[in-house]
Amino acid sequence: MTLRTLQTRLGFAAIAIAALLALVAIPNFVSSPSNVRNIVLSPTFWPYALTGMTALAGLLLLVTGFREEGETPLEEEHPEAEGAWIRIGGLAAIMVAVMLLLPWLGMPLTCMAAFAATAFLFRTRHPVVAVICAVLVPLVLYVFFAKVAGVAVPQGELIRLP
Amino acid sequence: MSLWDSLMAGLSLVASFEAFAALFVGIVIGVIGGAIPGLSATMAVALTLPFTFAMQPITGILLLLGVYKGGIFGGSIPAILIKTPGTPASSATILDGHPMAEKGEAGRALGMALWASCTADLVSNLALILFAGWLASFALSFGPPEFFALILFSLTIIAGVSGESLLRGALSALLGLLLATVGLDLVYGTNRFTFGDPNLMGGLNFIAVLIGLFAIPEVIMMARNPTAHLGRTRALGGTKVTLADYMRSFKSIIRGSMIGVFLGSIPGIGAAPSAFLSYSEARRKSPNRANFGKGEIEGVAASEAGNNGVAGATLIPLLALGVPGDVITAIIIGAFMVHGLQPGPMMFVLNVDIIYGLFIGLIVSSVFLFIVGSVAIRGFRFVAEIPKRILMPAVLVLCVYGVFAVNNNIFDVGVMFAMGWVGYVMLRTRIPPAPFLIAFILGPLLEDSFRQSMLMSGSDPAILLRGPITWFFWGLTLLAIIAIARSVGRKLPV
Repeated sequence: MTLRTLQTRLGFAAIAIAALLALVAIPNFVSSPSNVRNIVLSPTFWPYALTGMTALAGLLLLVTGFREEGETPLEEEHPEAEGAWIRIGGLAAIMVAVMLLLPWLGMPLTCMAAFAATAFLFRTRHPVVAVICAVLVPLVLYVFFAKVAGVAVPQGELIRLP
Repeated sequence: MSLWDSLMAGLSLVASFEAFAALFVGIVIGVIGGAIPGLSATMAVALTLPFTFAMQPITGILLLLGVYKGGIFGGSIPAILIKTPGTPASSATILDGHPMAEKGEAGRALGMALWASCTADLVSNLALILFAGWLASFALSFGPPEFFALILFSLTIIAGVSGESLLRGALSALLGLLLATVGLDLVYGTNRFTFGDPNLMGGLNFIAVLIGLFAIPEVIMMARNPTAHLGRTRALGGTKVTLADYMRSFKSIIRGSMIGVFLGSIPGIGAAPSAFLSYSEARRKSPNRANFGKGEIEGVAASEAGNNGVAGATLIPLLALGVPGDVITAIIIGAFMVHGLQPGPMMFVLNVDIIYGLFIGLIVSSVFLFIVGSVAIRGFRFVAEIPKRILMPAVLVLCVYGVFAVNNNIFDVGVMFAMGWVGYVMLRTRIPPAPFLIAFILGPLLEDSFRQSMLMSGSDPAILLRGPITWFFWGLTLLAIIAIARSVGRKLPV
């Protein structure tokens, strides 16, 4: 991707966000009492003002994007490795699974599964260490947060830790 | 309360094993976090934050300050040994540190980095103690219009943390300001973007947003390329830094510390520009200027003094005005908030014991940094060898526990994951996350002070220019905008 493409895409995205906010989100999801006398005190004033500035930033990004002459691709700090999208999709699935499993499995078990799944997703060269850490790290964190910090860590319906 | 009474109150609060142990452990965590490329001091502070919830406020904040200070020094270790700065602030250290490592003088370079860091840290802490109280007493007379002008000026911080593109930084800040509007309206109590969900009525949890924005994208980047971190570490070599080396670089260290204090006390400048300015000043004034860039020990000393001189000074605007000096102090604000403390001038009245306790802790931190740093230099090889493909899953699990612990709410974990993906998209599209976080923190304060001013004046905008203090901050804002416009004019793209 070149700088020109990046700036232009960001400009369009910013304008789209601003349009979505101004036309859909603010009118429908920001409530304002009918007796507000002055616009600057209205709960919608600040979101509208920020939306306007976002649109302006988008426009400026578009202008600078179009004015950009260089076609040199932007340097990537870490290039994409083979199978990147599969792993990124896998990580997204792990996050969704964590959200769904937390109430049922509880935090320690869910985190153990998430740790192991993530380590293997990253193709760890130390599978045994990964499994040991997958059990120990969530347990140590459970002990700290539940026993030291007094946090009501969700226990789930399968196993209840002391 | 007299200075002596305040000092004694602070001492009574901080003179405990837990407080000093927290500070020491914090420095250890910070040095390790800073020394692992890709983890960074910012992420180390963000990940340590949840552990402070159960602690006494002073203990928790000292732990975080320890991580901050340790992290800034820790960043220099990989900068010298593997030419990868652990923190952006250590970028200048590479210039002479890595050539020294290539000549087999890594131990000497690291030793000088430590000595310069500790000296600059001490100078910076003394500046904090001297100036924060004075600034806070001045800020006690602020009303909503003065705070509005101050916060508006503070938002020009964004120019300093925008990185390569000011426009992308501005877009990031605007998104942060927009996200900060979620929740109940401050004046009328009506819903804004809550979508009927009670979880959103209090707004998005600050800790979930910041951990999502700074820690989760690194985990996602690991999925994108699990082997990107693999590199080669250099040996320390036999030579060590000597007192003669230190004395020869002393002028540059003190000059760098002063530059760090000055730039650190201005919100948003940060440690990286300070390190580069200190380095260039040292090169300009040094008799060995021809050797700079080829492995000159004075270059290492100057850049490390520049970046560590910032560490204490960034706390000046944080403690005195409630405005974060950089992104790490923006995270540290979270620790104050979690413990029901609001940094700012009133803290010097209501919680003077905590303020002086922090001052005492900070002075001790320079000594601890020296001890921990000396050990860390020898132990870096072990830190560097922690497999990142095991470290990152641990970071993910730590984030889940930490964010849940804030409010005992699974919803916050979802917010963190969502913000993680936002952060990843920002990383890929080169939108800096720091302006987003700073705007997310300052947004409600800005809106609140603006609307309070309007309520006070019957919606007359003239109140925003009501006296010398507001004029002063408007003037500074104007100057900052002119400076930004000039720098933008000099280096496109914006």
